[in-house]
Amino acid sequence: MIGSIEVRGLSRTFHTTVRRPGFAGALRSLVNPERSVKHAVSDISFDVASGELLALLGPNGAGKSTTIKMLTGILTPTSGEARVAGVVPYQDRERNARNIGAVFGQRTQLWWDLPVRESFAILRDIYEVPKAEHAARLREFDEILELSAFWDTRVRHLSLGQRVRCDLAAALLHDPPVVFLDEPTIGMDVVVKEQVREFLRHQVEQRGRTVLLTTHDMTEVERLAERVVLINHGRLVLDGTLDEIRRKYGSTWQVRATLADAHTAVVPPPPGIALLRQDGPQVVFGPDGSGAPTVHQALKAVIERYEVTGVAIDEADLEDVMRAAYVHAGPAAEGV
Amino acid sequence: MAVLHAWRAARVTPLGELHAPPRMTAVLIRLTVQVVLVASLWSGLYAHSGPTAGLSREQAITYAVLAVLASRLRELDQYAGRDSVLQHMHFGTIVYWYLRPLPPARYHALRALGEQVYGAAWALAGYAVCLAVGVVEPPKSAAVAGVFLVSLLLGQLILYFIMLLIDQWCFWMLRNNSAVLILIFAQNLLSGVYAPLWFFPDWFRTMSGFLPFQATLSVPLSLYIGRIRLADAGGQLAIQAGWVVVLFLVTRFLWRRAARRVVSQGG
Repeated sequence: MIGSIEVRGLSRTFHTTVRRPGFAGALRSLVNPERSVKHAVSDISFDVASGELLALLGPNGAGKSTTIKMLTGILTPTSGEARVAGVVPYQDRERNARNIGAVFGQRTQLWWDLPVRESFAILRDIYEVPKAEHAARLREFDEILELSAFWDTRVRHLSLGQRVRCDLAAALLHDPPVVFLDEPTIGMDVVVKEQVREFLRHQVEQRGRTVLLTTHDMTEVERLAERVVLINHGRLVLDGTLDEIRRKYGSTWQVRATLADAHTAVVPPPPGIALLRQDGPQVVFGPDGSGAPTVHQALKAVIERYEVTGVAIDEADLEDVMRAAYVHAGPAAEGV
Repeated sequence: MAVLHAWRAARVTPLGELHAPPRMTAVLIRLTVQVVLVASLWSGLYAHSGPTAGLSREQAITYAVLAVLASRLRELDQYAGRDSVLQHMHFGTIVYWYLRPLPPARYHALRALGEQVYGAAWALAGYAVCLAVGVVEPPKSAAVAGVFLVSLLLGQLILYFIMLLIDQWCFWMLRNNSAVLILIFAQNLLSGVYAPLWFFPDWFRTMSGFLPFQATLSVPLSLYIGRIRLADAGGQLAIQAGWVVVLFLVTRFLWRRAARRVVSQGG
């Protein structure tokens, strides 16, 4: 398939030197270094269909960026294989480069000292894009990202939001069928984020591009992705639609309660219910993923177990669902 | 045409400079001050003496001023545009060099070519002014001028490869600041920018003969002022060409190793 991604048993192991603490430790490390093995990605498999936007999620250090690096051809896997638009990225990097576009967070690929349009022109030259095609694509990108307001400005003088919009355009100027976005909206304000989301929706729905997105912004995931792959400690722990994940880890509810006694021990919560947050007497419960009770069963269980002065029911947002999924997936997992 | 592929990458430095007039003004001032000081210094040194170390006053001044102008051909400071290997390694943007259908070695060479052409424009303008006001002497003949240009070109190629080696150092050590400082000093001293090499003791010149630095500037400038005769130029050009081949092979090997390192570390 033109823009599909196939990942089979992909693993990546890094060998590092353990630095011992203190002066003597540093000397020992120098003379007799101790090696350690880190399995950044272990045996993950998934597919992304042509024209699909998939969110690759996981806590910090889960292996998302390592996976993206292998799929872009920057990193060679230790074992397993991947195909991006029919090309093995780490074996045929130059061919793969023509098929993909990539944005790595706040790391810009634009030329710092030049006006943005000059950067675009250099990329046009590198990717050998015909002039007319380049101009038409720039016009299209400009309609959504409003680049013309600042594309004659030197990159060093752009705001973060302007620069990331330019980076997105730069990554797509050569019309790649597959796009990798590693936390593209990190640090951006809500208006620009929405602009970027609209741009991505347009690229997927109208242009049929395949997008693999990593983000910690759950609003972004809700607005853009139908399917999510969750990895933690380098392992794939979940591959499904947002609805499936909600059903499995979060249903759609939260019970917020105010405890009569702020010092009441809240652990353990009733069976099937997890404590999501506590701030003094304010506690928030959600399903723990193991045969989740209905919201009414949960409400009853909470009232029976604790002395509460107030209680409210909310629909859980995706962030809570993902938090529950991370907690379920592994003890060292962090928040979304 | 493959040979023209990505030629716009060569425009990065000249365009960056044109968009930063203060930097151009600084270059103009620095170049003017350096030329005036160097010419004054050598005039002063020769004020009360005849030819020294086989060099007349005019030859010495011409050599020293041309050395200043030629050192403009390739700026050692590439940091302003945030496009040095050091900075890409630091900011993690080196990954983009490996995500494009353009080999990093070719991109690096194109960038250097642009810098070279830009620097050459400055050097040429400075040379024209110095020639017009009589600070430097013209070459003795068209043949000398021709051989000088060939030798200068080979010297600049050698200098490019030496600087590339320092850049490639970053793929393993992440930083190259100390190496750059050593390079600047070694290059200026051993290529004869500070003073022509024949003012140095024999052991120094012997040692220098085993290093590539004197082939970058000392040889072409010596050809220009007639210190190396045309009859001996062939041998010198051959040595320069030899350095070009050796350094090309070494840097090509290191590009391969660097790519392997990037794909094993992930940039």
